[in-house]
Amino acid sequence: MRQPVEVLIEKYKNNIYVIAFNVCKNAQDAEDVVQDTFIQYISIKKDFETEQHIRAWLIRVAINKAKNKNNTFFRRNTLPLEDYMEALIFESSESSESSESSELSELFETVMKLSEKYRVVIHLFYYEDYSVNEIADILKISVSNVKVRLSRGRRLLRETLKEVWENDE
Amino acid sequence: MTNREKYKQAFSAIHISDEFSLEVRKMTNTSKKQKFNRMVAVIAVCVLLAGGSTVAYAADLGGIQRTIQLWIHGNQTEATIDFNTDGSYEMEYFDSEGNAAQQGGGGVAFNADGSERPLTEEELLDLLDDPDVRYEDDGSVWIYYFDQKIDITDKFDDNICYVQISNGEETLYMTIKYQNGWSSSPNKYPSPSSFN
Repeated sequence: MRQPVEVLIEKYKNNIYVIAFNVCKNAQDAEDVVQDTFIQYISIKKDFETEQHIRAWLIRVAINKAKNKNNTFFRRNTLPLEDYMEALIFESSESSESSESSELSELFETVMKLSEKYRVVIHLFYYEDYSVNEIADILKISVSNVKVRLSRGRRLLRETLKEVWENDE
Repeated sequence: MTNREKYKQAFSAIHISDEFSLEVRKMTNTSKKQKFNRMVAVIAVCVLLAGGSTVAYAADLGGIQRTIQLWIHGNQTEATIDFNTDGSYEMEYFDSEGNAAQQGGGGVAFNADGSERPLTEEELLDLLDDPDVRYEDDGSVWIYYFDQKIDITDKFDDNICYVQISNGEETLYMTIKYQNGWSSSPNKYPSPSSFN
């Protein structure tokens, strides 16, 4: 099956942007990755089994393209992460108390400080709601490798965030 | 809030610019241009192939056809290869999805006196055993070497990747420039400036 690219852009552009940002740590690079990912979708004649298959493929392509961007010498890096973070507004769904907003900000910053291999797995699990098996399939690594990365990533988050991050293993 | 809810809430702070949808038209145009370029490339390759086969037929190069087991993209594959006396070869095989695939190539070697000679069948077979670096549609980069398939997507630093590979008998040191060729040596990693 194929879906019109306009439909996919509307549905998934933000998810792809967020995972690309997660890898690149840079807004401009992440937008370029979103563009490149959808261009890749248009360019290939791949037939997909389901819409979930398309979504997983888009995420995999975005992760690889974002990694490739990190590898280029002429990375734009126009805005350091710290400066970008200052412009972000963290809003809690439960209340507008500044303590909760600062907790979310701290969570975001701590995740972004993890090494890439933990960050990506944590993101696919907690943001994209993928299972361990699905993450292994997307990243083309073993299930046990995903479990190890997830476990170490959680532990590192717990160590820094203390009570903000519960033990949910 | 659970960890998952907190995580989603924290990352909801970043979102793509509202102007992104305006760039869809530009994307579509880019893609058409890419397709057009690919079509031109395919035509050019056809002309070259047709030209090559005409020359081979006219000159009656006395090629030898062999059926050989080769490792192609990590799969042991039976390939029919025509070795021509001009140092070129044409190979036909069925890929892992059962599609017929063709591949051709060849080359010359230089004698001690500086004169050229066509590559021998043995030399061409050695070339076919070389590692293969592939850039896949999903952005990943792989090395295929005999039965091995190595993901090197994450191993590039400043567009250069160094990988050590072995077929059990010989170790090769590979230097790969991202989308810009590669070189290997049994002794040490070739310097990136020494090729391409």
